Amino acid sequence: MAEELLGCCYRVHGRDYDTGGEKSTEIKSILTSLDLDPAIVRRAVVVAFEAEMNVVMYADEGALTLTITDEDITLEMEDTGPGIPDIALAMQEGWSTATDEMRERGFGFGMGLPNIRRNSDEFEIASEVGRGTVVLSRIRLDGDG
Amino acid sequence: MDEYAHGFTIDASRCDGCLACMRVCPTQAIRVRDGRVSVRQELCIDCGSCLAACSRGVFAPTTRTLEDFDDYAFRVAIPSPVLYGQFPLDVKPQHIAQGLLAVGFDAVWDYGVDTRLVAQAIVDYVDGWQGPRPLISIACACVVRLMQVSYPRMLDQAIRVSPPREVAGREVKRRYAQELGLAPERIAAIYITPCEARTISILQPAEGGSSSLDGAIGIPQLYNRVLEAAREAAGEAPRDDAREPVRSSIMLRWSTRRPLADLLEHRRYLAVTGLPNIIQVFDDIEKGKLRDIDFLEANACWGGCCNGNLTVDNVYVSQAKLQMLMSGLPDTDPETEAEVARRYPEGDFGIQRPFLPRERVVVGDLRERVRRLKEAGEIAAALPGYDCGLCGAPSCATLAHDVAAGEAARGDCVFLGRDRLERLRGGVGGRRRDRR
Repeated sequence: MAEELLGCCYRVHGRDYDTGGEKSTEIKSILTSLDLDPAIVRRAVVVAFEAEMNVVMYADEGALTLTITDEDITLEMEDTGPGIPDIALAMQEGWSTATDEMRERGFGFGMGLPNIRRNSDEFEIASEVGRGTVVLSRIRLDGDG
Repeated sequence: MDEYAHGFTIDASRCDGCLACMRVCPTQAIRVRDGRVSVRQELCIDCGSCLAACSRGVFAPTTRTLEDFDDYAFRVAIPSPVLYGQFPLDVKPQHIAQGLLAVGFDAVWDYGVDTRLVAQAIVDYVDGWQGPRPLISIACACVVRLMQVSYPRMLDQAIRVSPPREVAGREVKRRYAQELGLAPERIAAIYITPCEARTISILQPAEGGSSSLDGAIGIPQLYNRVLEAAREAAGEAPRDDAREPVRSSIMLRWSTRRPLADLLEHRRYLAVTGLPNIIQVFDDIEKGKLRDIDFLEANACWGGCCNGNLTVDNVYVSQAKLQMLMSGLPDTDPETEAEVARRYPEGDFGIQRPFLPRERVVVGDLRERVRRLKEAGEIAAALPGYDCGLCGAPSCATLAHDVAAGEAARGDCVFLGRDRLERLRGGVGGRRRDRR
């Protein structure tokens, strides 16, 4: 197990479209000032943003944890909310339960979770209906990008 | 690391430490320490904000004068379309062209055809593109540099189609070499530029290699002399060699806020101007938003190139004049279309070299960089957070990073350094008011 060099935790509020996306901007700023490979930074930013917007759109509260070791970046989002009844379905590209309002805001095209998985070297998801969802994404620092 | 050429020179001896440039720099590249300005060259994107902010002439644009091209046998002006909106309404494009000939150019190039060719190349590129969207225009030299410095991963989305001025430069050399029997290097292709960022794109193209243009002259360098000659020309019969310099509106449209709107209207097209807006949009793109946009046109100056830092007239006035000019011109004309049909199939409008990120100096391993980041966080927590800039860094956060990197001291902060205010007041390491 690689030693943790840096850990940060951010709270994300459901239905807060106003500031939704700001946490991923903060994460980008941290990763950029660490002079990490831009390809890795971009993947991490996409993961953080999609995870953040999932909470904004569907959940009540979320905690996003960023952990950096000398081997990888881990982003873990744990939320309290409705949960996902059928994870296999939610992982399909284009499948979405978004409302018209979300779509008008440019979200809800069913790309969020697939996008997180595509940008991760390791991906885990667990959910309990009526309680919430945990999504974990790990990006290796020696990856290609 | 490479030395980065920029479109301006810095005379720090003229600096009185007023901080105006530091406050406007969008990439936080400027520091004012010991009462003198310094620029982190690797962060500079040539937006020219510092030139506009400085009242003491510390920054001077490095455009050239016509006399610098005296060694060439034949000098061709390739005016940015912006030029045609800079003069009083009664001075028409053909008078401006005559003015340019009168001040010493041997020909004035209408690059309507080149613009039309590039527009076609962009449409074809956009339609054939399989990679991430949106594709991003590279017409603004400053936006390309912003991507190289702050959005390196988005460079894959920078469209690899030469801007019209580069295509024009190649054609000017080819055409006149053939017509006059001269070697192409004896012909000067001179861009008349509305901004210093274009100067640098000619001196040192963002993708490397070399420009087809031989240099750029800023509009203010020529303005008075051209105006005088153009006014004279307006009262005389046109010279035989001064053909109509703008035959169709396509070239002028390129200088508006939404240059390609008409051509790309059936695709998803977005045009943004002003660096803060561009940064906001680029942040969104980086997060994966705006994926359904096909082509993004971004121009660093508010309102587009008419607001460039080497223009003379007010941006709104010059845009209104260009609109009037455009409304009196056809969208295109048979001669232009025939030329486009002839040149497009055999033309090469691509940019061969990829745009690469600006190299960053990475100091220390990840462990050390994390340590510096944490230290910067602790330092920032002890700073007042007013971002007053009196320490010589643009914000408390940048000072904290500078201190953690060993480039500044906590005591540079006027709240933490006991004698700092006293020193600023006394002018030692502060603003030299006596020089005003």
